[in-house]
Amino acid sequence: MRRAQRERVDCRHRQSLPGARSRAAFDAAAVGRPVSFSTKATYLGYHLSPAQKLATARARLAESESRVAPNLAPPLGDEQTTNDRFRNDVLPLLLSAASVSLVTGLLSLLDRQLALTIVPLAYLVPVIIAATQWGVWPATLAAIGGMAAADFYFFPPIYSFQIEDPREAIDLLLFLVVALVASNLADRLRRETEMLRRREREIQQLYAFSQRLAACFSISDLIGAIQNYLASALGPQAALFVAMADGRIELPQSGAVPAPVRDAVGTMVDTAKTPARSIVDQATRDLWLLRAVSSDTEVHGVVAINIGHGSCEAIDSKTQRVEAILEEVSLTLQRLDIGKAMEDARLRLQGEMLRDAFHGTISHELCSPLAAIRGSASVLEEVPQVKDDARARALVEAIAEETAELDGFIQNLLNATRVTAGGLTPRLEWADPKDLLNEAIRLRTRRLRAHRVETEFAEELPFVHVDSALIAEACGQLLENAAKYSPSGSTILAKARAEPGRIVLSISDQGVGITAVEQQQLGLRSFRSARHQTTIPGSGLGFWIASTFVQANGGTIAVSSPGQGQGTTVSISLPASRMTASELTALANE
Amino acid sequence: MNKPANVVLLVEDEPKIRRFLRAGFELNSYYVLEAENAAEALKTATFSTPDLIILDLALPDLHGSEVLERLRSWSNVPIIILSVVSSEDEKVRLLHAGADDYVVKPFGMAELLARSEAALRRYFKTATENPVVVAGPLSVDLVNRTVSLNGNPTRLTRKEYRLLHILAMHVGLVVTHDQLLREIWSGNQRENIQYLRILVRKLRQKIEADPNQPRLLVTESGVGYRLQNRPEPAQQS
Repeated sequence: MRRAQRERVDCRHRQSLPGARSRAAFDAAAVGRPVSFSTKATYLGYHLSPAQKLATARARLAESESRVAPNLAPPLGDEQTTNDRFRNDVLPLLLSAASVSLVTGLLSLLDRQLALTIVPLAYLVPVIIAATQWGVWPATLAAIGGMAAADFYFFPPIYSFQIEDPREAIDLLLFLVVALVASNLADRLRRETEMLRRREREIQQLYAFSQRLAACFSISDLIGAIQNYLASALGPQAALFVAMADGRIELPQSGAVPAPVRDAVGTMVDTAKTPARSIVDQATRDLWLLRAVSSDTEVHGVVAINIGHGSCEAIDSKTQRVEAILEEVSLTLQRLDIGKAMEDARLRLQGEMLRDAFHGTISHELCSPLAAIRGSASVLEEVPQVKDDARARALVEAIAEETAELDGFIQNLLNATRVTAGGLTPRLEWADPKDLLNEAIRLRTRRLRAHRVETEFAEELPFVHVDSALIAEACGQLLENAAKYSPSGSTILAKARAEPGRIVLSISDQGVGITAVEQQQLGLRSFRSARHQTTIPGSGLGFWIASTFVQANGGTIAVSSPGQGQGTTVSISLPASRMTASELTALANE
Repeated sequence: MNKPANVVLLVEDEPKIRRFLRAGFELNSYYVLEAENAAEALKTATFSTPDLIILDLALPDLHGSEVLERLRSWSNVPIIILSVVSSEDEKVRLLHAGADDYVVKPFGMAELLARSEAALRRYFKTATENPVVVAGPLSVDLVNRTVSLNGNPTRLTRKEYRLLHILAMHVGLVVTHDQLLREIWSGNQRENIQYLRILVRKLRQKIEADPNQPRLLVTESGVGYRLQNRPEPAQQS
């Protein structure tokens, strides 16, 4: 007969749920006797196992009636009091025992024969309830208690644990098996449901969090959002340490985070190198996760989260959760970075437009009048009346002088804007290093008047592949600096020598020299040493322009000075032709 | 001099610059015409046939390089370009487009006059004129192909002479690398500016008082070379 019933069940499955057939069939086979129960569940049309479905329904009911809080709350803080232990461990056992008693009481009210037919089924109810509500151990207790009660109260001989009919013994054993299997299934379902619900809540929180993140337009918004989220989702067991402007991490003196963890955060100063670590708080044996909150470019803080001291699995799941949050955060940081980059680009563009406008203005509004003054003065010089009058001639010369001075300054500004506007594209050609230095000296003839300029060229210098005008200008700037920072009448030496694969142009003076501190700042735009700011006029652009021009040509620039007051040598090193001059001569004369 | 005055056309939109240019040229016995925009310049150049044109690049109606091209399509008149800061590329382009030379603002009148004279000399050179070019201590006889330095004959190799010859024909004016390479070398070596640099070095060894500080054969960075017709005296000792 049972076989027949099972056949029927299979058949139904075949008709209604072909996909779930084998699983349901297996369940039915495993459940054995209470087939009718499982078939009822299958009628509901679920493809989960029947016992699981029932448990789900139960769970839903339970949820609507009351929040079964203790187990479902984010179990990140596992501090258990005696009260909690009673509620979590002992009470379920008591309750399942009570429910078995209740079923026994109800059954005893019924007609004996009737009661006997439904006994196994009736005792399954507390098992399922216990499994879905309190877990596998109360359910096991209910199963064993139910079996014992059925044997004691209902199977003859009554009020004895002995059984007359072996069939009834088998029934009881089958009941036990079914009850244990069902309780296991129901318990698993309960746990999965719980987990799903927790996930759902986590996802909701994450969603709310990401919504907040989407509304973040600055790093401080973001930090606020993280703090808010940590407080609501994880409680006091998490904290965010915000990095300050200088990259160090601000450490509060007190708070929920234990001192050793705070100290560990403090040591994560260079968080870019150690983006994550974990530390065990010895006092509570809790594991704390420390994670850097950072975008590609910057570290904004460190999150410390108490993972507790649960099993590996629990720690893993919590870690994953924390990582999910941080994933969101870092995405937002990237978005903010992009936003910032766009803003920067906009500002830069504006800057460039300003510079271009400045460039145009300078060349037109300043250079034209200057050209008129310079030209007029040069014509005046030739006028016979002026030529013959020493006073007038001196005045005209003064005009020419000052105009040239002004012109030099304007050319420097133009060069500087050329560099910063990114308009520096060297036009490379093979040039003779001697020509470069001579050109530089020629360009600065007037400014070098007070000094003796000597040149020293090595024999057979190979050529350099550079933009001649840029390098000549760079050397000119250096010559000008040399003249500016060395006493009148002293010698400025311009040298060109060959080194393997390169040419070194050097300009040495006998001037004020350079201190170590000044040397570090030298490359900066507009750097002028405090020593000379009041005594020697200048914009501080010279060296910067020179070094930028040299770098644009693939060269390097180096400054050396034996010390203050002992002169300075600036060397420009440039890539040189591999062919020596004599090899080239041979070729050129072919 | 009973030669008629040379006529110079000043094409420049800035009245103040025109004013000093006029004064400067008149002081040196030029007859001066003025044009303040490209249209006027082209008209004056057509109807008054000046001997020399000073052309500013920044004109209100047409870019100077365009004016240069139009003038060159029918005239060989010497043209000297005035420009505010211009790149070497642009200078070379203008020279190839037919400009005789350029002067970068701000400039002194003497510089412009020297260029003007050089350009005029080249323009008016005739077969009857003395074929000897003198540049400081150096003289180059273009017909007999001889070179002398301080009166002493100097022996040059074929290529060295070729280089000096081209520069002497344009004495006082800049000659671009391209032009020199094209006229001295042929075939695939034409592109190799290193050969030109070597040749210049060797020529300087022979004609310069101090080859390390050339006064006659000067380098125009990124553009070319120039044989100075009135070499500056050597800088301080």
